Amino acid sequence: MTLEFSRSNPLTVGIELELMILSTHDWDLMRGAADLLALIEKSAHPGDIKPEITESMIEISTAVHTNHREMLAELSAMRDTVIRTAQRLNLAIAGGGGHPFQHWSEQRIFPKERFYHLHEMYGYLAKQFTVFGQHIHIGVPSGDDAIYLAHMMARYIPHFIALSASSPFSQGMDTDFDSSRLNNINAFPLSGTMPFVRDWQEFNSYFDTMRGLQVVETMKDFYWDIRPKPEFGTIEIRVCDTPLTVEKAAVLGAYAQTLARHLMLDRPREPSQDVYRVYSFNRFTACRYGMQAGFIDAYARNRRLLKEDIAETLAVLAPHCAALDTRGALAEIGANLENGQNDSGWLRDTFRQTKSLSDVVRLQSRLWAGEQRAGPAR
Amino acid sequence: MHEVNFLPPFPLFAANMMLVGVVLLCGLAAGHVFARYLRLPRITGFVAAGVILGPGMLNLLDRPTLSELSIFVDFSLGLILFELGRRLDLRWLARDGWLLASGLAECLLSFVLVYGMLRFFEVAPVYAATAAAIAMSTSPAVLLMIVHDQRAKGALTERMLTLTGLNNVLAFMAVTLLFGFVHLEYQANWWRALQPLYLIAGSVALGYLAFVVGRWLARWFGKREDIQFIMLLGLIVATVGLALSYKFSVVLSLLAFGVFAKNLDSKHDLMAVEFGPGGQLFLVVLFVITGAGLQLPELAVAGVLGLVFVLARLAGKVAGLAIFAPMSGLTQKKSALLGVGMMPMSAIAVVMVQGASQLYPEYGAKLSSIVLSAVVILEVAGPLSTQWALKTAGETDPAAEERQ
Repeated sequence: MTLEFSRSNPLTVGIELELMILSTHDWDLMRGAADLLALIEKSAHPGDIKPEITESMIEISTAVHTNHREMLAELSAMRDTVIRTAQRLNLAIAGGGGHPFQHWSEQRIFPKERFYHLHEMYGYLAKQFTVFGQHIHIGVPSGDDAIYLAHMMARYIPHFIALSASSPFSQGMDTDFDSSRLNNINAFPLSGTMPFVRDWQEFNSYFDTMRGLQVVETMKDFYWDIRPKPEFGTIEIRVCDTPLTVEKAAVLGAYAQTLARHLMLDRPREPSQDVYRVYSFNRFTACRYGMQAGFIDAYARNRRLLKEDIAETLAVLAPHCAALDTRGALAEIGANLENGQNDSGWLRDTFRQTKSLSDVVRLQSRLWAGEQRAGPAR
Repeated sequence: MHEVNFLPPFPLFAANMMLVGVVLLCGLAAGHVFARYLRLPRITGFVAAGVILGPGMLNLLDRPTLSELSIFVDFSLGLILFELGRRLDLRWLARDGWLLASGLAECLLSFVLVYGMLRFFEVAPVYAATAAAIAMSTSPAVLLMIVHDQRAKGALTERMLTLTGLNNVLAFMAVTLLFGFVHLEYQANWWRALQPLYLIAGSVALGYLAFVVGRWLARWFGKREDIQFIMLLGLIVATVGLALSYKFSVVLSLLAFGVFAKNLDSKHDLMAVEFGPGGQLFLVVLFVITGAGLQLPELAVAGVLGLVFVLARLAGKVAGLAIFAPMSGLTQKKSALLGVGMMPMSAIAVVMVQGASQLYPEYGAKLSSIVLSAVVILEVAGPLSTQWALKTAGETDPAAEERQ
């Protein structure tokens, strides 16, 4: 059986965000997904709101967008719906790639067949999967294009990691990583990258082999950093931590969209195995050091600062901004480069000022609600 | 025969100290038996241990000893009420009118139904009203203990604790104001009718003072959980002591302290401290002593009235919450379970009855025969129904049960 690749409008964007559900008493994670979803279902709302693997997580996903401003408007509307509903249950919501002091063993699997199955299969890894990511879907016209774009995007994965990183704390400690979340994903046997296949046909035979061997049942079983999503006709970038604000989430979507336009139209390079040879190292460095990371350029065969590579990429993307109306969004990434700050920096600064992780989470949830401006204050 | 003076004189000098240990160990053992072999909540086991050790049976804890141990009761209650006060989120109540409405409905219906039924059984109005006011309150000690034991989390748990905070405030105010009528009933001097005012205003002011001092100290100490933990314990002990010496109410003072700490601490200086195993220790002692204070034989007489009280109260809570809680966003099923979960009534009811007895022994005796017989029933039925409600709502942690 071959996977049918649905056609979708090229260069459209869709965003999924996993969010944390919090107790307003102690700001720990709270098992509230079922109550929250039951209440949300009663009202009309944009987008799609779903449960995730444990009961203190919720996932919101947008419709397909071509325009950054419309994307942000929908994300903001969904955010407001979820917050309004959560307030009725005295719960709070926040962004961020991981909860700073939750204990994985206290998490409970959301009652749903698929999640129980994952728990049975992966044991404690399933509960440790209580981390919160942003997934960006980019529409592509065909399966072959999906394979090409996925390979070409692989070079830029460290950009997305460093720009979105928002999980510096884990299990009550500073991990020294800017994104500790990706370490949780590395533990899964089917994580990593798509194999170096040339086109959709070759991908299909790989998938058939894996299914024949009962390694996977569906595409969902691959936890790759970038994977084709044939049902949607997209490729899905899965390395981003959920940012602390919807604005940042929309900016990351716009960056992916503009980058995809450059890669698809300019076809600057051909896919290369060299990218995958340095991939894990680049990915680790970005997780560990964030905006201060180094970067190995597999094509140029040299080392540089990740910041420099992002700045150079922004310059290359400039001509594509007009067509997609993403100039404003990319300017915000430029500003991030200048101050060298990502969301992990904000979280660490906030902890330095408040000296309490539960205060960090409280302020994080206010930031998510748009009640607190960036730059920590009490 | 030589005097063997290195042997201790009898009776043993340190007997009371030893008794506290015995209380604790017997309570633990009975709790263990109840949880493991009878599959009943541990709390019921603690209370049973008290009944067995108490004046009614073994008399190991006789009346004088019990009154000496009352300081433990006051401190334990103080700890729990502070914790409960910190769960009473006034902003949530202000934001969600239906939540407040469900809390008021639950209190009002329990009051009306209990009062009506007691009047039907020809209990004099002043007793019926005081008993009905006590009926509004739910035991925070039982709730917090079961929530902790079962590691319960969720919408039902949150509401149960918030509404218990509310119903304790309302019940305490109502009972205290009713004392005003009792003073008139017993034709005391007019100025004795000021006693409720003194009690309420004094207790709230003391709670506020404790909060102000606590916030100031917390700012100075900084965000250190270990230090803030000891600081809060110190403040609670001092507040309990002051409340006792000024004849304020321990219950109301500490409840007020907690409510102020939750709602007025705008800069979040006070940390949400978990009292953990230390707090559990005091809860065990509290339940054993509460059990020892219950006199089963005398209560058998008032058994029917007690049962009437329990059923009317349950009907009021269940009806009030089943009608109003869904409007505040709780599912139908959980709304129905919420009233059942709020069934426990324990030490605070006993304390309110004792308050009455201290004022007028005769009045207190009549009141206690009704209320305490209900408490006996609820020491068994209450924890069971809370545990059942939390489990049925799916808010407990299955792993927590296996651990027992």
